Amino acid sequence: MAHANPDAVFAPWDDPVEKPLIQFKNVTKRFGDFTAIDDLTLDIYAKEFFALLGPSGCGKTTLMRMLGGFETPTEGTILLDGVDIGPVPPNERPVNMMFQSYALFPHLSVWDNIAFGLKRSDMPKDQIGDRVEQMLKLTQLGKFAGRKPHQISGGQRQRVALARSLAKAPKLLLLDEPLGALDKKLRHETQFELMDIQESTGTTFVIVTHDQEEAMTVATRVAVMTEGKLAQVATPEVIYEAPNSAYVADFIGDVNLIEGTVEVPAKRASETSVAIKWSATAPAINASADTPPPAASSVTFAIRPEKVAISSTKPKAANVLEGKILDIAYLGNISTYHVEVAPGLIIKAQATNAKRVSRRNLTWEDHVYLSWTDTAGVVLTA
Amino acid sequence: MRRFSWFNATSLTFGFAFLYLPMLILIIYSFNESRLVTVWAGFSTKWYGELFQNEQFLDAAWVTVKVAFWSSTIATVLGTMAAYIMVRAGRFRGRGLFSGMIYAPLVMPEVITGLSLLLFFIAIGLDRGVLTIVLAHTTFAMCYVSVVVTSRLVSFDQSLEEAALDLGCTPFDAFRSVTLPIIMPAVISGWLLAFTLSLDDLVIASFTSGPSSTTLPIKIFSAVRLGVTPEINALSTIMIGLVTLGVVSASLVSRATAKKARADEQAAG
Repeated sequence: MAHANPDAVFAPWDDPVEKPLIQFKNVTKRFGDFTAIDDLTLDIYAKEFFALLGPSGCGKTTLMRMLGGFETPTEGTILLDGVDIGPVPPNERPVNMMFQSYALFPHLSVWDNIAFGLKRSDMPKDQIGDRVEQMLKLTQLGKFAGRKPHQISGGQRQRVALARSLAKAPKLLLLDEPLGALDKKLRHETQFELMDIQESTGTTFVIVTHDQEEAMTVATRVAVMTEGKLAQVATPEVIYEAPNSAYVADFIGDVNLIEGTVEVPAKRASETSVAIKWSATAPAINASADTPPPAASSVTFAIRPEKVAISSTKPKAANVLEGKILDIAYLGNISTYHVEVAPGLIIKAQATNAKRVSRRNLTWEDHVYLSWTDTAGVVLTA
Repeated sequence: MRRFSWFNATSLTFGFAFLYLPMLILIIYSFNESRLVTVWAGFSTKWYGELFQNEQFLDAAWVTVKVAFWSSTIATVLGTMAAYIMVRAGRFRGRGLFSGMIYAPLVMPEVITGLSLLLFFIAIGLDRGVLTIVLAHTTFAMCYVSVVVTSRLVSFDQSLEEAALDLGCTPFDAFRSVTLPIIMPAVISGWLLAFTLSLDDLVIASFTSGPSSTTLPIKIFSAVRLGVTPEINALSTIMIGLVTLGVVSASLVSRATAKKARADEQAAG
């Protein structure tokens, strides 16, 4: 078991003994003719920081609102700790939510906002004060306890909302685009704060976001959603390095997608190697897959720009393509080169700017070589 | 200071004269020494004194205030409930019809409202008195309250209520401890509006009042038919004062509402 060994990686989803905290079982939600959630089955484990990621309208918010009790599934069941929570109203669920708009009560002070839920719980009156002070300390809001929500900054309001939703020590905390209203720098800081708080309180967090970078940063596992279905549920590393479809590969980060067909494997090739014919003239792409797709099937080869090396002299590698630099996007720490390797096919390659600008040797219209190893990319059949 | 052109000054003077000159004359003559309404005979407050000796007028005034208080209070409760339900129910079949029906009495001729109420009270065998006037006034004032409260609720962030539910409130507790305090200024200004409307209603009250329960406007109207007395001028002056007070405070409260709504929006953003 995972917690038998303190050094073990936190991965309850790989442990058959572990029981999930939340279970969606064939859940469907329809609004009139529109199907927001389509026959979805998903397990979320205790102490996870689980991210629901997808474009707007993919159903991620609906999924979260069903956990909060603001929507009921049209079909299927949702279990929390093995109990069907379908008929339980929001005020009786051991679940709290942090709203996208923060939904702070404007007529109450920061202190009273945080105490609001506690006053309606069975906590003895004399302990409420201590708990509020504890939450104020956790979120560094001590100085602002007496202020009204409109008298504090956006970042502070975000922390009040977090403190208020954590005050009742819920089994599950739902965060609906919690950092959407913050500017980029504050958002990055707050992401780490959120992770610290999640770890120190041991609460299970489910976060809804459309920001893939945010999901990758904070989450133990990410569920990529599209049109009411789960495209892939996995750790950020797996989602990034081994996406299961072109959709996921394209949605998370930057990617080069090359369509082609699988060649008949050569006699001496290893069992995992795949050769992909993508052009009539250029050599096939050498890649690998655990279970190679059958010959002549059409596949998509996906490779991240940072795994493509760019050089002005021909390197030795499993895959080498020649091309011409069309564009250079200079981002400071890195540069992305857009290289045309065949008419209409542009491959992006990323290089770290280890040298200062004046000494870099690649420029527009240069003839360059792109190269990558046979394990750098992923072969996708969907 | 911006200077008014000759034209602007004239139109302003005429406009305001048109609106307020009759009332001004009424107020001036209420301080007339003479019994003859149209002949000025020096300043005096004796008609105010005599007014407060006139038990018929005092009774009517008391009935009017009672009616206004109860009808506006009931109208505020019902109107707020109606507004809340119409805004929160979302879309359903016949929503337009329902909200139209809530607002229809606003444009219904008062004579028709009064007549239908009279027929209704006779049909159910309710003796006409203070109770029937209260019910009648509640009926029409409720629409006004509903309009005022609806406009506030439309801009109300519904996630505040969801947050209250999420933190353990029952739906009623959420309404009482979150929604109501936030929309309170609108509710108060609705109450003041209803109170003012009830105070100066003549038509509906005359259909629904009984012999023992005459309101002030009815009393004035019937007294004037026997000839205008300076006493009536004094009484009317007091009523103008009261109504002005009501309208001004209602508008001050609704201005506070608007200000608060802006603060809420900032808090939400």
